Amino acid sequence: MAQDPLRANTTPSEDAAGIAHVDGSGSAKHVRHVERHAEAGLPMRQALKQQHKIAETQIHDITEKFRTAAGALAVGQLVKDEYFTLFESITAIEIMDPKMDSGFLQPGETVEESYDALAPLLPEEVIGIMDQLLSYEMAWHTGYPLSQTLFTSVYIDKLLYPESRVFEEAQFYRGFVPDDKRPGVLLEVLRAYCLALIKCCDFVIAKIVGRDYYEEEDFCTHTYNRVLFVQVPMDVFQRELNAAMERLVEEETDMDEVLRNALVTRLEFRLDMLTALDLECPIERLQKYWPTILKSLTLIDETHHLGEPVPDAFSTKIQRRLASTVPPRPIVELDFKDAFQKLRQLCDDCVEATRFAALPVDPLEYQSFLWSYASRTPAPLPYSRAYLSTILFHPNTLNTSMSVPLMDLRTLLLPASPILDQSNWTLSPPRDILMPKPPRLQLALLIDEFTERAGQNYIDLWTALGQNRCRLRRMLGHVILGWDQLCQDTAAVDEDLMRVVHDMGIEDEVFPFPLTTWVYHKKLWMMEKMVLLGFEQDIYFPDEFAGMYHFLSEISSGRRTILFRIQAHISDRIYALQDHRTTSKSTSTSPPPSNPQDQPATQQSQDLHDAHTYLTSLLHEATATTALAAALSTFYIITLYLRLLPYPIRPFSTELLRHELRMKPFLTLQPPEVQAFDESVKSLQPYGPYLEPDDKRVWRELGDKEGLLWRVVDERLKEAKEGLQGLKKGGAGVARAGGVQAEWEEEVKRGLKSCVALGVAVAGVKGVVGALAEVGRDGGGHGGKGLGEDLGIRLEIPGIGEGKRYSEGWVVGKVGKVDKGKGKGKGK
Amino acid sequence: MDNAKATFWLSQFIGKNLRIHASDGRVFGGQLKCTDKDCNIILALTYEYRAPPAAVIEEAVKATGNPTAPVSWNSRYVGLVVIPGSDVTKIEFEESSYAKGQVAL
Repeated sequence: MAQDPLRANTTPSEDAAGIAHVDGSGSAKHVRHVERHAEAGLPMRQALKQQHKIAETQIHDITEKFRTAAGALAVGQLVKDEYFTLFESITAIEIMDPKMDSGFLQPGETVEESYDALAPLLPEEVIGIMDQLLSYEMAWHTGYPLSQTLFTSVYIDKLLYPESRVFEEAQFYRGFVPDDKRPGVLLEVLRAYCLALIKCCDFVIAKIVGRDYYEEEDFCTHTYNRVLFVQVPMDVFQRELNAAMERLVEEETDMDEVLRNALVTRLEFRLDMLTALDLECPIERLQKYWPTILKSLTLIDETHHLGEPVPDAFSTKIQRRLASTVPPRPIVELDFKDAFQKLRQLCDDCVEATRFAALPVDPLEYQSFLWSYASRTPAPLPYSRAYLSTILFHPNTLNTSMSVPLMDLRTLLLPASPILDQSNWTLSPPRDILMPKPPRLQLALLIDEFTERAGQNYIDLWTALGQNRCRLRRMLGHVILGWDQLCQDTAAVDEDLMRVVHDMGIEDEVFPFPLTTWVYHKKLWMMEKMVLLGFEQDIYFPDEFAGMYHFLSEISSGRRTILFRIQAHISDRIYALQDHRTTSKSTSTSPPPSNPQDQPATQQSQDLHDAHTYLTSLLHEATATTALAAALSTFYIITLYLRLLPYPIRPFSTELLRHELRMKPFLTLQPPEVQAFDESVKSLQPYGPYLEPDDKRVWRELGDKEGLLWRVVDERLKEAKEGLQGLKKGGAGVARAGGVQAEWEEEVKRGLKSCVALGVAVAGVKGVVGALAEVGRDGGGHGGKGLGEDLGIRLEIPGIGEGKRYSEGWVVGKVGKVDKGKGKGKGK
Repeated sequence: MDNAKATFWLSQFIGKNLRIHASDGRVFGGQLKCTDKDCNIILALTYEYRAPPAAVIEEAVKATGNPTAPVSWNSRYVGLVVIPGSDVTKIEFEESSYAKGQVAL
């Protein structure tokens, strides 16, 4: 053994130099030299020459003296770099601590792998290894790190490390190997499969990281300094796979046909997968790739039983050699059946995502699609989401003739409007800059200013819609704030716009302050979705349901009012157009100047009618949301008084604080959307506190089936049903969700079912309230006798993901009978 | 050695490259950041070096016929580490020829 063990090794010193350069500590040394030479007043050239002298390092053993010196230090005294902080020190890894030190070996443990990657394999074993790799790949897709999944494979490790300089070097061995040890056809097959698999991982990482917003909580892109053939083009891998398939057919003639087919299927699957994952897929051909994969999936599933697992080909030891600061963790075992399920889901989700490319160019259609994609159950994997957003943010999608927010604005507010007349953009400014610009040009410039400002906010909304549901809710909170700011900024543009409109005398044709209205409407829509997502994700406690549904109803009714006004405006314009047509026909005058010249009147009236139907659909939806939320809110108020909902005593919080907490995301919005606490208490607790109602009418009102609150529930429920039926009748196309018709219809249906469920629950509670008159006689402060389970019923709140909610956002309690024997038997 | 002297002597090595041999045979090479009375040592930008297994050494000796045949050690970047004083078996100072004489040994 060499005297100085480190000198024998050249790699580490090279590495060390590399590291030193990266973090800059090396350059510090360099600077010091230059300074020294400069002090000596020597010419620069000589200073440079000196640097070429080979650095001779001398090693001194200072153990004894170091120990003595350290021993002389006081307890608690540190000798340290003055910039080295306690904060920094806690990130240090403790050597020899089995929980932190990834290089710590248990007695008898070795780092080296005992598995021989060149040992010949049986075809069954190759199938087994391939399927195991597939399981690990899917485990990785669901969020586990590569170190605990694919990187535990000895074969993959051999291919990746030591890193090959040329692709041909990526073998299960490095350097020279005697002929009798050379890998046979089956190992070559496995090698081709592994190589393609590695490239697939590279593609997946590139696609996910390529998005503006990728999610480290959902997916682990860490490759532990292993390079996944980033530079090698895809066709090289395709060639390897094809060659492997050829050799399999030509050279392994005596292999069982079934086994050979199973192997070929797996290679073909990898080939298809590679093609589908390719980053440079032209967008118009995307739809072709995934169906072929889906087809080969069945074959893989059918032949899985042929494989024979080779557990020794996977080892956690490899983790010790990865650039990782954590000791080896167990391999993630994902059952092949589950993994296969995930794979199928991945393919299905990607197939669904490719449908995006075929959508009509309409941001509202995109929005519906994104919403329904995010609602898919089980939730799409990070890769599928990245896949969709790559299509969404593809230049083809974004480069439309009209800017995206403007298209949305036109559909909702400015159909066939002189403000968005294309010819406005064709005017040139007067040569004399002191002359006022023509008003139409001014309109065009103002609109341009607005779209430029709104563009980013629009993209933010889309980005948020591309996330998983939990993150979507959180991100919406931020997006809403952005839109709130946009709303305020837009007000100035709108004022200018209205001035120009006034000067042109076309007020009748323009909805007042259209831009602000549009932004505000969108903001309210997002707030509704955010609250609904809160319900969907069980953010709120049952005793908060009443308050949150009340809030939802308030927002939604605000949106409804706006929609009403817009629709009334559009109706006016339709009438005006008809009037104008009849008059112009009879008098045959030339069209008024404000009439867009390049747009025939029929087109105009068509646009207006389209907008009208779209608004009707939106109105139905807003009505349904407002009414159903109000009905639920009132229903939960009633059940709170009846003590059918748990109302925990929370000694460390107050209602005011809880109200503030829930409303936090919305508190800063302008105009204020959140009711003041006192106001909301008034509407949520009409008879005083739930546990101690001070208004004595409460029991009479609740006991009477025609009481005020009951009437509210019934009326609003009816309204909600009508709204949803109207929405359904209008259809998905009108609601700008034609691309996801089936999903959209399903959602409406779920809404209707929720209404029915609420109706049933209301009837269930009403059936037992007759006994309340007795409670009223005792007075309120009786400690809840005759309430809650004493009524003989129980209200169950269906949990998330149990399939017991018709619609995840509409939480409708279910009324059940209390077992009389178990209950106190006093209820009825 | 009194406290002031010891402090001065030790602080010379701050930021200098040390090689710490751990009780399990591994060697850690990195810049000294901090040490204390118990000889706990914090190194920054550290590499871990591990001797190859006995079989590999035997093979190398057999192949070359030279009992002191050089073999390469496995190395790995580990970054910021703290080595407990109880596990430190040997401390070596790497003196670069550029900085010769800066440290009073």
